[in-house]
Amino acid sequence: MQPSNFPTIFSITEDEIDLNDLLARITLTSTGAAAIFTGMVRGETSRRGSTQANAGDEHQTEYLEYEAYIPMAEEKMKQVADEIRAKWDAIEGIAIVQRIGKLYPKTPTVLIACTAAHRDTGVFEAARYGIDRLKEIVPIWKKEVSPGGEFWVEGEYMPKAGE
Amino acid sequence: MNHVKLLFFATLRERMGIKTLDLDVPADLTIQGLKDRLSAEYPKVNASLKSVVVSINREFAPDESVIPQNAEIGMFPPVSGG
Repeated sequence: MQPSNFPTIFSITEDEIDLNDLLARITLTSTGAAAIFTGMVRGETSRRGSTQANAGDEHQTEYLEYEAYIPMAEEKMKQVADEIRAKWDAIEGIAIVQRIGKLYPKTPTVLIACTAAHRDTGVFEAARYGIDRLKEIVPIWKKEVSPGGEFWVEGEYMPKAGE
Repeated sequence: MNHVKLLFFATLRERMGIKTLDLDVPADLTIQGLKDRLSAEYPKVNASLKSVVVSINREFAPDESVIPQNAEIGMFPPVSGG
């Protein structure tokens, strides 16, 4: 199969993330390994190591409310997938999905999955890179709502022109 | 004059109280010039302009970028998806 035929899925959705469906769509007959990262809403947070204003404060989260600049976010997700393929040429399928809207504790919010023929192809690192880059350049934000009030979670990365 | 459409997200949207703003701007206006104009006309957004990320037609744009005709300009805080 030519690399151009490798499946790439990227989307912003308000619907539940369907891991089995996504995995099936990036699994080819040549695929023998998949690395999947998924993140979910924490109901109890300890911000150890964070630079947020409330660093160190343990607190409860009622829900997170996500929003996205959807057309740009999907373009940047495509770019993250292109960057993964440029770094790890053994990667077959890639799925990058962010769920938005009001999401409650234990709910999966994001999924990055990469497939390859074998596990020693960089597939773990590729998935790790995918979530790290999503958190740098894909325009999505979340507001944390807790019993004590609400605040916007802001990242720290300032993207460069052309990034 | 160039017509531009501004899109605000997250804290920028909340501080502005609006999601979008249509503006006519001088043809040589830069992103820095646009920030200065917003700061003067909408002082309530000042706190967010210090660390704002700006896109022109869905690509990240530095302060010295000149704004093209009919540009779609996104203004938002550093991203926090995931």
